[in-house]
Amino acid sequence: MASLPLNPPPPPQWVVRMNTPMPSLSKDASSIPDPPGYAKKMSAKNQRAQQSAAASAPAKPVETDTLKVKKAWEIALAPSKQIPMNAIMMYMSGNSLQIFSIMMVFMLFKGPIQGLINTNAVFAKFDTEGTHAKLLGVKAIYVVMQLGLLCLGVWKVNAMGLLPTTRSDWLAWESERQPLERAYFAFG
Amino acid sequence: MWLQATLLLLASCVPSSLAIYFDEVNHVDYHHALLGFPSPQSTFFLKPSASSHGSLLYTLSENSLLGAVNPKGGFLLWRQNLSRTALPVDSNAHHLLRASEGTNALVSALGDYLSSWTALDGKLIWENWFVDETVADLELLELEDATASPSVKDTVALFGGKAAVVRRLDGDSGKTKWEHFDESGDIPFQISSSSTEVFYVSLQPSSRKGYRIKVTSLNPLNGRQTQQHVLNSESDVTSADSVLFVGANTAAPFIAWADQSRKALKVNVIGTKQVQTFDIENTSGESIRSITVHAPKKLESLTHFLVHYETESTTWAEVYHINLKSGSVSKAYDLPRLEGWSAFSTSNKDANVYFTRITQSETTVVSSASHGILGRWTHQAPPMEQALHSVSEVVSKGDTVAVRSAAVLASGDWQLIRNGQTEWTRYEALTGAQAAAWVEEDTQEDLVHQLQVEGHESLSGAYLHRVKRHARDLQHLPEWLKGLPKRILTSILTDEVSNLDGYGIVKPVLVAAENGRVYSLDAGNHGAVVWKVKAAEAESWNVKAILTQPGSATIYADDGSSVTLDASTGEILERSPATVKIRSVAVASDGTSPVTVGIQENGVPAEVVNGPGFFVTLSDDGSVLGWIASDNQRPAWQFRPAHGEKIIHATSRPSHDPVASIGKVLGNRSVLYKYLSPNLALITAVGENSVTFYLLDAISGRILHTSFHQGVDTTQPIASVISENWFAYSFWGDVIDPSDAKGYQLVISELYESSIPNDRGPLGSASNYSSIADLPLPHVISQAYIISEPISHMAVTQTRQGITVRQLLCTLPKANSIVGIPRPVLDARRPVGRDPTANEQEEGLFKYNPFLQFDGKWYLTHGRDVAGIKTVLSAPTMLESTTLIFAFGSDIFAIRATPSQAFDVLGKSFSKLQLVLTIVALSIGVAVLAPMVRRKQINTIWKATS
Repeated sequence: MASLPLNPPPPPQWVVRMNTPMPSLSKDASSIPDPPGYAKKMSAKNQRAQQSAAASAPAKPVETDTLKVKKAWEIALAPSKQIPMNAIMMYMSGNSLQIFSIMMVFMLFKGPIQGLINTNAVFAKFDTEGTHAKLLGVKAIYVVMQLGLLCLGVWKVNAMGLLPTTRSDWLAWESERQPLERAYFAFG
Repeated sequence: MWLQATLLLLASCVPSSLAIYFDEVNHVDYHHALLGFPSPQSTFFLKPSASSHGSLLYTLSENSLLGAVNPKGGFLLWRQNLSRTALPVDSNAHHLLRASEGTNALVSALGDYLSSWTALDGKLIWENWFVDETVADLELLELEDATASPSVKDTVALFGGKAAVVRRLDGDSGKTKWEHFDESGDIPFQISSSSTEVFYVSLQPSSRKGYRIKVTSLNPLNGRQTQQHVLNSESDVTSADSVLFVGANTAAPFIAWADQSRKALKVNVIGTKQVQTFDIENTSGESIRSITVHAPKKLESLTHFLVHYETESTTWAEVYHINLKSGSVSKAYDLPRLEGWSAFSTSNKDANVYFTRITQSETTVVSSASHGILGRWTHQAPPMEQALHSVSEVVSKGDTVAVRSAAVLASGDWQLIRNGQTEWTRYEALTGAQAAAWVEEDTQEDLVHQLQVEGHESLSGAYLHRVKRHARDLQHLPEWLKGLPKRILTSILTDEVSNLDGYGIVKPVLVAAENGRVYSLDAGNHGAVVWKVKAAEAESWNVKAILTQPGSATIYADDGSSVTLDASTGEILERSPATVKIRSVAVASDGTSPVTVGIQENGVPAEVVNGPGFFVTLSDDGSVLGWIASDNQRPAWQFRPAHGEKIIHATSRPSHDPVASIGKVLGNRSVLYKYLSPNLALITAVGENSVTFYLLDAISGRILHTSFHQGVDTTQPIASVISENWFAYSFWGDVIDPSDAKGYQLVISELYESSIPNDRGPLGSASNYSSIADLPLPHVISQAYIISEPISHMAVTQTRQGITVRQLLCTLPKANSIVGIPRPVLDARRPVGRDPTANEQEEGLFKYNPFLQFDGKWYLTHGRDVAGIKTVLSAPTMLESTTLIFAFGSDIFAIRATPSQAFDVLGKSFSKLQLVLTIVALSIGVAVLAPMVRRKQINTIWKATS
């Protein structure tokens, strides 16, 4: 076990300086007029901040929940905005098997699958007692949106011919029909 | 050093050869350009022109091939096939070849065909046909009175036919200058000429038996008869063969014959009536088997000749001199009697005449003037095989002489012996190759056996066995490690071929020749003969099949006998006696060991085989018979072609014909299923001027498909082949109705289970079927192409798994080459009259073009002149990309082909040196940079905290 030093070293100079509040200006100094063009708004800002803090402090929990749900809806619907863009990109990238299109398809699958796995984590910060019931619907829509993106990926993979949907994909598993009789030729 | 390494790296990036396949010539292929057995009277050394230093060896072989061979190295300079232009001649027609020193012209005769060729490069000077007449003898006129030495010499030819004719033909054009008819009905025998006269020797049948020799002298300028006399020889001469020699073109031509008991030799100097008789001193106690006379043929040479006597076990010779002034013949000296055979030959050097005697142990040279031996050379260790005849060239320098002799051996080899040393051997007997097969090496046999053991044991037992096997293998480790540096070094420095030996690409080939000999050709060494052995007991045989087993090969002859040879040494392991005459051999290879059954001439299997299986045979009465293996009394079915047709060829799928995919994937990714049956037989039957190709099922004898073509020239070659799910054939067709094509046609037909994609036909997904119960018919798609020349034989390349694209191997007899047409080109589904759709393009189909031009890249024989090929074989190797091709018939040609490029082999462009150097450079870089980087990292840590 490492032995701790008995006396912690004195805090550095700058820590001390930072922790000490700014000394108030001396009367003399405050009497010095401000240079022209300098507006002293510090106090006004402080005032306003104090005002707003005073206004938000008494906000009701119902309103907060509404806000949270609204925010959650925004997140749930975000993937739907990606669909058109992705669709165009997939269409443009062509159906040939190239490193670029393969990477794009990979990203297309990675995004929705990660999103689906993290569904609860994404909405965790909006999850309160009041919003819990409402969030279920929101999550469902989120999942549907991610599945939509996933469908786009599947469509793309199919267009690229990577889905074993045709007879030729299963040809290797079919075997030659064996004759029961065997002829030996001696035509010479 | 860095600069050097960089330069080396850069240099190795440049491709070693820009012309891709040029460097593979003589590396993946070899070719034996053969002439055939040289005829004794038509083989000689000759200086092709007055200015040339060395002489060439010319021959007109018994296969009617005229050729020039370079005596240095023994390779062929040029050759011409006389039987191509001559009308078909009977086998005992005279093969005559004459030449005169310093004229650059050879004159050859075969049957009715006379031709003259330049000696230097074998180009035709003139040719002439004399219908209904056959050339009996041929001489070149050496006239003394001609001013200076003419560059062309006229030919005097003797023709037999209704009447004997002597013609003088112009040396430039081959046109007749004069003719002399002899309508007496005598047998035209030979002609001979001296410097002033042409002598026509004929055999006049005497009233009792035997022949009188009639000599007619002709004026060489106008062909008029100047004198005629008859020699009384009827008691001695019973046939043309009894006359031993008619001297040609010596200063004093002579006729020599012996009496019937071979006790006396009779000589007549042509132009005189005097016949001199010499007693033959035969002290051997054996009867004389043959007497041969050797005389120089040049005009200026001394008038000496040698008579060679041969008994069963000894040979000797006598030398005679002719006195030019008196015309008398006198015996000069004897050459000693020796045990065994001797081959004598005559050669001139200016006027001097030398006789060369080759025996099994030595070569000796004597001058014709005295019996002193000028040169004697003993042959190398193994006693030489019997030489039948030889030609020699003697060079004298002061007292010493040097000699080179080209001897034709009884085994069919042509050997050049220079001062007792064998310089080269040409295996001319390979022209009569009848069958060939690749040797199966037995190195893997032990492993196969071990693997079989493992396969039959329990899981744990097999595992233990395997561990033990690998442990045993460790004993080879020290050797392997010892050989490793050498292997690495050679793999970097040399070509890839030495490393690929283990993949079966340099398998030796066994060739059985007509003269009863079997040759083993080493593919790794330009097809050199590794061993040869006389496998037949008789002088010749007719080989029906060679079947190979690991380490040995069995050869089946048509008399039902078989010989088993050790494949690596040629030692005869086993011999089975002749039984019945067979026409082919069937191999039933189900289960463990293959069973061979001879098929008799009438198509009946000679034996009964127990077990399932069917035999399909051809009978000599022109029908195809199907037999149940266990019953050879009554055929299961019989197929006869339509009335008036006769079967000329029948073929089936090769025994090794793997199919990689059972269907054909179309552009829209549906599948057209192939009609695959190992029991398909393709029968070619010809009628008057039609040809029909029947596709039969060999079990039931049912006709699955027929294609009929009219207007076919049945004398032209008709070839066919069947493989996988397709068959191809070619023939010459004429126009019958306006839509027909005229010319050589190549037709490809593909068989599918159904015309509808994704449909497996009536049998559906059944995993097996019986041909007897329910055999669906194939859906056949065909396409025909016009090709520019006939195809005499077809074969298909075979690879290990059938993944590689197949090539249709076609033998082109006109172009003397073999062409490998890739199957995708011959796809029967190529769109006709339109461009392919996107889907079809994806399939690799392109627009159909009725004319199929053979691409230069398809010629497997590239620049070689591969003549007379009758059979082409193909065999797989351990490498899927590579197939072995072996062609034989007249020539021998073999190549290692890669129809889809060598995709599983590192090519020559892959530079191992470059790879090694890159790795070394990188290692050095790492070694240099690593400490530097480490120091820098440590420095950054320390300097930051300080």
